Amino acid sequence: MVALSDTLARGAIRGTDRAVLARRVSVFLIILLVIVSLYSLTTGAAGTSAAQALATWITGGEVSLRDRVVLLDIRLPRLMMGVLVGASLAVSGALMQGLFRNPLADPGIVGISSGAGLGAITAIVLGPLLPVAFVSLLGHYLVPFAAFLGGWGTTLLLYRVATRKGRTSVATMLLAGIALAAFAAAISGILVYRADDNQLRDLTFWSMGSLAGASWSKVFTATPIIILGMAAAPFLAKGLNALALGEATAGHLGINIQLVKRIAILSVAASTGAAVAMTGGIGFIGIVVPHLLRLATGPDNRYLLPNAALLGAILLIVADMISRVIIAPAELPIGIVTAVLGSPVFLWILLRRRGVLDL
Amino acid sequence: MIPSFFKLTAATCVAVLVLGAPSSAQQPTSDDRIVSIGGAVTEIVFALGQEHRLVARDTTSVYPAAALDLPDVGYMRRLSPEGVLSVNPDLILTEPGSGPAETLDILAEAHVGLVQVPGDYSAEGIVNRVTSVAAALGVEDEGAALAEEIRAELDAAEAEAEALSGGNRPRVMFILSMPGGRINASGIDTRADGIIRMAGGENALPEFSQYRILSDEAIITAAPDFILMMDRSGGGDHATADEELWSHPAIALTPAAENRAVIRMDGAFLLSFGPRTADAVATLAAHLHGG
Amino acid sequence: MLYAKDITVSLGSKPVLHGITCTAAAGEVTAIVGPNGSGKTTLLRALTGDIAHGGQIALNDRDVTGMQAWQLASLRGVLPQATPLAFPFTVIEVVRMGLMAGVSAGRNHLPEQALAQVDLTGYENCFYQELSGGEQQRVQLARVLCQVWEPTLDGQSRWLFLDEPVSSLDIAHQLQVMQIARAFAEGGGGVIMVMHDLNLTAMFSDKVILMKNGRIVKTGTPVEVIANEPLSDAYGCKIDLSRPAPATAPLFHPATVSTH
Repeated sequence: MVALSDTLARGAIRGTDRAVLARRVSVFLIILLVIVSLYSLTTGAAGTSAAQALATWITGGEVSLRDRVVLLDIRLPRLMMGVLVGASLAVSGALMQGLFRNPLADPGIVGISSGAGLGAITAIVLGPLLPVAFVSLLGHYLVPFAAFLGGWGTTLLLYRVATRKGRTSVATMLLAGIALAAFAAAISGILVYRADDNQLRDLTFWSMGSLAGASWSKVFTATPIIILGMAAAPFLAKGLNALALGEATAGHLGINIQLVKRIAILSVAASTGAAVAMTGGIGFIGIVVPHLLRLATGPDNRYLLPNAALLGAILLIVADMISRVIIAPAELPIGIVTAVLGSPVFLWILLRRRGVLDL
Repeated sequence: MIPSFFKLTAATCVAVLVLGAPSSAQQPTSDDRIVSIGGAVTEIVFALGQEHRLVARDTTSVYPAAALDLPDVGYMRRLSPEGVLSVNPDLILTEPGSGPAETLDILAEAHVGLVQVPGDYSAEGIVNRVTSVAAALGVEDEGAALAEEIRAELDAAEAEAEALSGGNRPRVMFILSMPGGRINASGIDTRADGIIRMAGGENALPEFSQYRILSDEAIITAAPDFILMMDRSGGGDHATADEELWSHPAIALTPAAENRAVIRMDGAFLLSFGPRTADAVATLAAHLHGG
Repeated sequence: MLYAKDITVSLGSKPVLHGITCTAAAGEVTAIVGPNGSGKTTLLRALTGDIAHGGQIALNDRDVTGMQAWQLASLRGVLPQATPLAFPFTVIEVVRMGLMAGVSAGRNHLPEQALAQVDLTGYENCFYQELSGGEQQRVQLARVLCQVWEPTLDGQSRWLFLDEPVSSLDIAHQLQVMQIARAFAEGGGGVIMVMHDLNLTAMFSDKVILMKNGRIVKTGTPVEVIANEPLSDAYGCKIDLSRPAPATAPLFHPATVSTH
């Protein structure tokens, strides 16, 4: 047996077998999610106590209307939405990072953000011009519907542009995405010019994100789309791992890379599209969560994707609790909370590992 | 190892549920608990002497000073359902435009009443506002009295303005802000437009409605005699702001610039269209017609 | 048996390979040599399906164009010249990627055995990106071996396509890798490798294909191809194999391969 070489003698970083660690982290995150969810049900501007309400209900007493509304119509749907949106943003971020082979890719990179934003601003500014019947049919769903169409449509358009003879070039998709974002910004600019004060404020708040609009009907509408989108993720794990070696090698290993690309893009378009449509622009979850997990348990997507879903949900629920309570009885847009929390954490990670790993 | 781990988890969950929750809010002590949304609505409630029934207000409700002591539910178009419910209201009195729609739905489900007060930007509109608020509060008599008083004050102020002007209606441009050195000014269908006309002035920009960023040509063509702006410094130093205004190349070519004719008034006072508006009309008229 | 007929490759409008026809037999090590720019790597990439090409390729008597990626992956492994890694995987995680569901499912002992073959035992948990170029190349070879561990399976030969497998390795490891290729061929598998080092080619291959300017100029046994005339012609410099080494410049040729 040849003695271990200079590489090891230099004291190169040694990880333990990260699969075991990743499984332990999964268990930990599941438990943390349960605890955080319960805590979010008990927390809020209105001093409603979930425990007291539960106790009253169990002993056959009457829970006050206000408490019932707060728990069942405000906090619970908000919790559900937070779990769905947090999980889908984090998983989509991880999928896009694997696809583009870049740890800084975020879910919006395939055009979802600019498309959704354009859809939202169109609905906000041109909504009054639409036929009344159409608007009343959609009701509260006008802006989310338009945002979803915008995000989905943009992503499909980019996919078409980047795919020739069955081969999708992610580099082309990235560049075309930049061009399309510029175009969307121009159209948005025109619409902003035509918007009145109220519409501008509505747009600003939409783009800062909020779970405040979460209602049961929205949860029921978004859930199937988001679940469907995320359901594809586990099947992509092995393919995305292999993609880290380069497309050619991944192909040699038997991965159908064009199929992996297509499914990844569609999955992100569906789940992130629905999430952004419902809640506006919430940033940082898609980048920070996969990043933290990679540093903790490695880049293996078979563990990264489920753990990202759990951690994304947890972080968004915590951010929502902060946004609900910090300036009560008013509310801080959740995008601000995720940005304020996310950027220092991100910076700290990079500074700590500076020069240690070439990411 | 594993069983005790799950026991610990279960114990934590129970502990969180029981201990993590603050106690329920107390029962309301008075008949009505009212949230007033909109500066004018709040002012009217105070003017009717019903402020003891208020439990919260919105961000634009800044007068009288006592209003600032009430909890602030935030921006009226972006109300948080739980935030509003946390003050345990019976009734929400609001100017048009509060939202979002989902929040209003939840408040309706929680059997919180909602009364929307009409929102015209004219003398008639103010009177309507007063009577609506009074009706919602069940103090119609006081409301009628207040409405009469305000109507009289407004008529007097408008008449005074007419007299002072001598038939001459100066052109007034209301500038909301100057983002990045460009001018964001008011057309028709705004509160500013309403108050300008009541004070005997003429809106220099009647061609469009709501607010627009103006081109240099539009500013020069509008040729305002006066520039009207909100006073952001609380009556303090305007020197720098004035310099910024007059150094704008298009503004510098207007009649207003020749005379250094800029009027700054407190935003809530000028634009709330509530009980103080008669005063605002008189003050503005005095500036415009040199009374 | 690998059979390639009339392979043409163009970069844009410029032809790089002009109608190459060649064969490689299972149970043999076939080396492709030639000067820079002769089209060696291009030919290999055409054979592995990485680039568009004209002509036909048959592997084990089956036309490869009809085969799915996973079918090809169960038949052959490909070692590129260099493999970047976009994320900080450890060595064992990279080698495990060679395990394919279906063919290699449940064979979790293979990665460690493969690492032992390339003399990297003990490196399992090191980060791939921290290794030297040569070490990384050996990790990739271990991954490829994981993919096609048995030279023959169900009566079918399996293949190794290696692009300059020893160019970045030190002497001892060069010999080790060449011996792995040799053993694979002797087990019934087929090995096709692009090589720069003519000495190692002569020592370890059964068949040599010499290329120049996108064409094959000579095919045959090492003795036939690695000779003065063909080499001088192809490389454009005077080569005299019979000339002894001058006293001040020893000629390196390992007499024996070390055994552990």
